[in-house]
Amino acid sequence: MVKKSILLTALLGILVAGCSSTELQESQPLNPPQPELQSMQADDNTGTAYTSPDLNLLELRGNPLLAKDKRGIYFDFNKYVVKQEYMEVIQAHAKYLNETPAANMKIQGYTDYRGSHEYNLSLGQKRSVAVKEALNSFGVDDSQIETVSYGKEYANLDCVEQNSCGEDRRADIVYTVE
Amino acid sequence: MNKFLYIIFAGFIFFSSSILNALEVIEILGGKASQIPIAVMPFKSFGSQKNIGKINSVIKSDLGRSGLFYPLDTRGVAASPNSDKEVNFSQWKSLEAQFLIIGRIDFVQKEKVKVSWSLIDIYKQQTILSGEYVGKNNQIRAIGHKVSDKVYERLTGSKGVFHTKIAFVEKYNNQKYKLNIADYDGYNITSLLDSKMPIISPRWSPDGKKIAYVSFEKEKPVIYIQEIATGKRKLLANFKGNNSAPAWSPDGKRLAIVLTYNANSQIYLINSDGSDVKRLVRSRSITTEPSWSPDGKEIYYTSNQGGGPQIYKFNLELSEVSRVTFEGKYNLYPSLSYDGKLLLYLTQDQGKFKVALQNLQSNQVLKLTKGPLDEAPVFAPNGHMVLFVYKDYGNTTKIGTVSINGLKIDPLPLGNRQVQEPAWGPLKN
Repeated sequence: MVKKSILLTALLGILVAGCSSTELQESQPLNPPQPELQSMQADDNTGTAYTSPDLNLLELRGNPLLAKDKRGIYFDFNKYVVKQEYMEVIQAHAKYLNETPAANMKIQGYTDYRGSHEYNLSLGQKRSVAVKEALNSFGVDDSQIETVSYGKEYANLDCVEQNSCGEDRRADIVYTVE
Repeated sequence: MNKFLYIIFAGFIFFSSSILNALEVIEILGGKASQIPIAVMPFKSFGSQKNIGKINSVIKSDLGRSGLFYPLDTRGVAASPNSDKEVNFSQWKSLEAQFLIIGRIDFVQKEKVKVSWSLIDIYKQQTILSGEYVGKNNQIRAIGHKVSDKVYERLTGSKGVFHTKIAFVEKYNNQKYKLNIADYDGYNITSLLDSKMPIISPRWSPDGKKIAYVSFEKEKPVIYIQEIATGKRKLLANFKGNNSAPAWSPDGKRLAIVLTYNANSQIYLINSDGSDVKRLVRSRSITTEPSWSPDGKEIYYTSNQGGGPQIYKFNLELSEVSRVTFEGKYNLYPSLSYDGKLLLYLTQDQGKFKVALQNLQSNQVLKLTKGPLDEAPVFAPNGHMVLFVYKDYGNTTKIGTVSINGLKIDPLPLGNRQVQEPAWGPLKN
């Protein structure tokens, strides 16, 4: 009974905090642009926030382990175990997050086309949480990470054979500001 | 058709009483095939030459989709009889017709028609059912569906579903979505919702007046309930994390929904006004896709607690969980027939995704489709047909019907539309 009421209280809290993810983005401090950095990053159009010094963006952009083409963590069919080969990249992101408390990460889980929309939505969530937990294991706090799932909603319909669907079975690491 | 499949199925559906009626009808008629051969003649028009569509093709298509009838090709038949007295019975017997539908259309007023029809038993050599419908010219398909319903009920003992509605999601312009409603056979499409974000899991309320669905428009899945007549909608669930998989209780007062705060999707119950949220089962694995038994006492769902997804059920009175599917390593998306005796789901069989039907008394499983990429099967309200999604050669997803005897698979005529996530509305009173 006690447990139940705790659950209900938690639920009510969640109800009130229903839009927490967008609030987080909106309340992201945006520092005034700094001319020096702007000229260095002249070809980058990501907006005003990239110049925030407390986001350590030079590290985020300069470290090859944090490169955008390495931010997909891939999984086997119907699986959500993070493979050992991704641990180096995940550890590098953990280091960045630990050293940059103002940085916020979104992990987006996806699945291949096969199966139902709802089960794949749940599976994509398991994948994003698996990556989050790998980050947790390197000391990252939950408050810096949001996990979401798009399931099979953006999956490639071409996928039929067992081995041609791998591109969709992934969790993407996305920074709220970079 | 595959005889072996049919034999399995004859045993398989032994417990399904209304289908049993249908089979008995077939037995009584001495049909050597498993489907009733029926001839549906063109209806003659009187009072106008106006072309308002062919009502007999509506009826033929309806009866054919059910898988219980075999509409005969009547193109070679010279004269269409006006009544059972004009019928050349030996001619129809030689065509192996067991039943014949004839009718006429009278233009009674401007834009108004009267449709009169008769169902004739070739062996008894008499009319066994007849009727008249008056409607507008543009209601000719609806009138055809009504005739089909009457014929179906007379010959199978079960209600026809040819006058029901379906809902489905259409994906267009690459990344936009519409929630559409149409006649059960895909005609008369109207849109309830247009969104730039995915829409999934539409579910009709038991009274057919509302649809619950999942929309990603808040950049994550949340559940809405929308009134069909007014278009008014309200958020049912927008809790932290993912809100998905709504399933109306049979009385329409509550819904089972799935909330995912962290790793594991969990099933909750919520009143249809959004109040009184409580967790159904606590699970350390994915639990999703809840579906009520028709008596409201059990909730079937998908869980991966054993590794791959399997179907389980939760008894609300006993608070007991038991596993329901055992064949194969991947079974999900459960739903129950209106009598609670048949379980419909998606199964992976030798790498292919197929629609499966399980007799809940014998646990025999029949694969209704061949795959390779089928999904989202849902029952017709009489349990005799299933809507499902398949991938066609044009690399898009389509919706079709399959009869539960597996004998008839028919696409819905939705053109090039990419469609998915079908839901079948209730029978109209």
